[in-house]
Amino acid sequence: MDRILIKGGLLHTMQDEGEPVFTGDILVENGKIVEVAASIEAPGAKIINASGLHVLPGLIDAHSHIGLFDFNHDKSVDDANEMTDPVSAAMDARYGMNPKARELKVAYEHGITSMLFTPGSGDVFCGQPFVAKTYGDNIFDMTVKAPAAVKIALGGNPKNTFGDLKRLPMTRMGVAHVLWDTFRRAKKYLDNKNNGVEQDYDAHLEAILPALRGEIPCKIHCTQYDMLTAIEVAKAFGVKFSLEHAWGASDYLEEIVESGCDICYGPIATYRSPGERRKVDVEAVKMLDDRGVNVAIITDSPILSEESLYHHMGEAVREGLEPERVLRMVTINPARQLGLEQRLGNLAPGRDADIILVKGRLGLDTDAKVQLTMIDGSIVYQI
Amino acid sequence: MYLIKNGTVHIGDGTVQEHCDVLTDGKTIKAVGTGLATEGATLIDAEGCHVFPGFIDPVSSIGAMGIPGRYYDNNEHSDPVTPEMNLKYSIDPDEVNRQEFYKSGITAIGLAPTNSNLMGGQIAVCKTAAQKMKERLVKEGAGLKCSVTSAVKQTYGSNSQLPMTKMGIFFLLQETLRKARSTAADQRSEKQQVICSVFDDCKMPVFAAASSKNEIDGLLHMMKGEKVQLNLVDSFCFADSLKEIMEQKVGIVLGNVNNMSQIAKNGMDLTKLQDLLANGNKIAFTNTCGGWSEGREVFIWSAIEAYRAGVAAEDVVKMMSLYPAQMLGADERLGTLEAGKDADISIFSAHPVTSYAAKVVHSMINGEVLF
Repeated sequence: MDRILIKGGLLHTMQDEGEPVFTGDILVENGKIVEVAASIEAPGAKIINASGLHVLPGLIDAHSHIGLFDFNHDKSVDDANEMTDPVSAAMDARYGMNPKARELKVAYEHGITSMLFTPGSGDVFCGQPFVAKTYGDNIFDMTVKAPAAVKIALGGNPKNTFGDLKRLPMTRMGVAHVLWDTFRRAKKYLDNKNNGVEQDYDAHLEAILPALRGEIPCKIHCTQYDMLTAIEVAKAFGVKFSLEHAWGASDYLEEIVESGCDICYGPIATYRSPGERRKVDVEAVKMLDDRGVNVAIITDSPILSEESLYHHMGEAVREGLEPERVLRMVTINPARQLGLEQRLGNLAPGRDADIILVKGRLGLDTDAKVQLTMIDGSIVYQI
Repeated sequence: MYLIKNGTVHIGDGTVQEHCDVLTDGKTIKAVGTGLATEGATLIDAEGCHVFPGFIDPVSSIGAMGIPGRYYDNNEHSDPVTPEMNLKYSIDPDEVNRQEFYKSGITAIGLAPTNSNLMGGQIAVCKTAAQKMKERLVKEGAGLKCSVTSAVKQTYGSNSQLPMTKMGIFFLLQETLRKARSTAADQRSEKQQVICSVFDDCKMPVFAAASSKNEIDGLLHMMKGEKVQLNLVDSFCFADSLKEIMEQKVGIVLGNVNNMSQIAKNGMDLTKLQDLLANGNKIAFTNTCGGWSEGREVFIWSAIEAYRAGVAAEDVVKMMSLYPAQMLGADERLGTLEAGKDADISIFSAHPVTSYAAKVVHSMINGEVLF
């Protein structure tokens, strides 16, 4: 593969906290970044002039349903929710995903090069999300990590799914019961496995084991006081977890900080109503960031559009967040949440060459525009 | 009396005045100009800030959604033709208040029916401030909301009732108009009286939801020759029917493009908005998509998408204020910062179309400072 030298851009490497933006070069070889420095000589390399442009790692939307909720047809298709049992943990989202969904093109044209695609949130255990690049023909080739998490949902979605069927769970206490009961069974299943005790194979419990072993996080859809349930149960089983959506987080700052969990905040701009939509408090991302919580900003695309990631970032800035901090919330922060910081979300030797060149300041200038998107060292979009 | 001093004042008609003052007296604007001084007026320092007329969402569902139960008081789907319904009676002020519209500079909404009915009812224009209803209501009968979207066939077709197809929707439109017109004036039902007052006497404009290309083309074909002012609502595929839209000079109320990924889904080309503006078509934004509304933020997001697509910032401001006021026939009171108009004013820390850092620092509706 070609060697490519990106010259003279303003580099936002997303390395150490507080590292200043500097003018420099990036050398790409065989789809990976090999060098990042103030000045690089690379005879024979193809040169991309990035002078006057901001250079960032490809953006990450850590909570998307693109291709699973498929709006590309006359009627929308829901392949995100296997709502036949509240515990559907073994459902592999890759098999529900349409890699030709038109939203992906809009995503990489806006510099979003990776997404976590997740099933849900109609079940309590919704299935297995995966991380993939946004450009390609075959979802299995595009995939970076699968499974990437155990997707769990609390609140109105699962309780309405099964409440309508007059089945457990039809209440929030019912959801909590399913959560406790399933984790207990999974824990016992794991103990039996570790101790060589013979037992029947259970695909759904198997799917929860990587979380119990600390290999992947649980991503828990919740808002408001459901956060307390999520924190209580997740702590009881020692799993790494993030609270997804997290409307109302500003009421639970202490609990969130103490739990050590991550936050995936968004989408916003919903109409306000009593209940889960009571408090859509994007200002919480600054409050949490100030307290050292790892916060990512998410769109829930295609429910809200992929290009609205910019608007989400902008609303956080409007509420007082520094633009440089908001960039971390769509790059290094989600990469760390997913254990993928060695590949995604920052500019350093060895990382995937997912790089974007941007005219204007993302999150501040409303007309900031991606001029070039590179994924795995290939230019997939250029103005 | 308030004197807003030394701001960058966006009149709303596309012009901007630097170091400009706005003086209010009671509920209205008394003067706009430089170096205004009046004793007894409370001073609001707008140095370094941008002053805008209140933004207007001409076809909102908020106030009638009945959330979280969603009982939709703007959805009288007992009959596909209910032009006599007056949305004034469905406004829940608490629901409007809860949205904190002032934080996005939105000071008036046109409460409109959903997309379920071919003719859903009459739009009522209402202020967003928590004030007495008689102060808030600007205008009733501001427009007849119609729909030729799939929502109509889904609503009635599922009961094996006309219309269950798009053919059925347009058949019903044609027949409803024909019957109303061919009925002697003194024999007309209330519905028919409203229909004739709209389509023959042009008592109010038509706001018709049409999203896909065939919905837009069908509507423009059937409305060709009608003299009532037509405004397309949602109109996500407007760029695919540009010629007809320009010829017939119809208005566009662009639906919430960020809802359900409309730009990707419809391959929307927002750069074509510039052609329409140059042609004299009026364009506005709404938080609504498919007949139901999202929160206050998406209004500015749609405006930003237009700006990103090359529409000049001050033209975008017109689309947020003057044009929707004109579309609703409420421009005598709303839409620009001019003497005699309602004192609905937002003071932003920066220009909200060009900078995400723009925050409303003061908001005023009917001359009353909300914060």
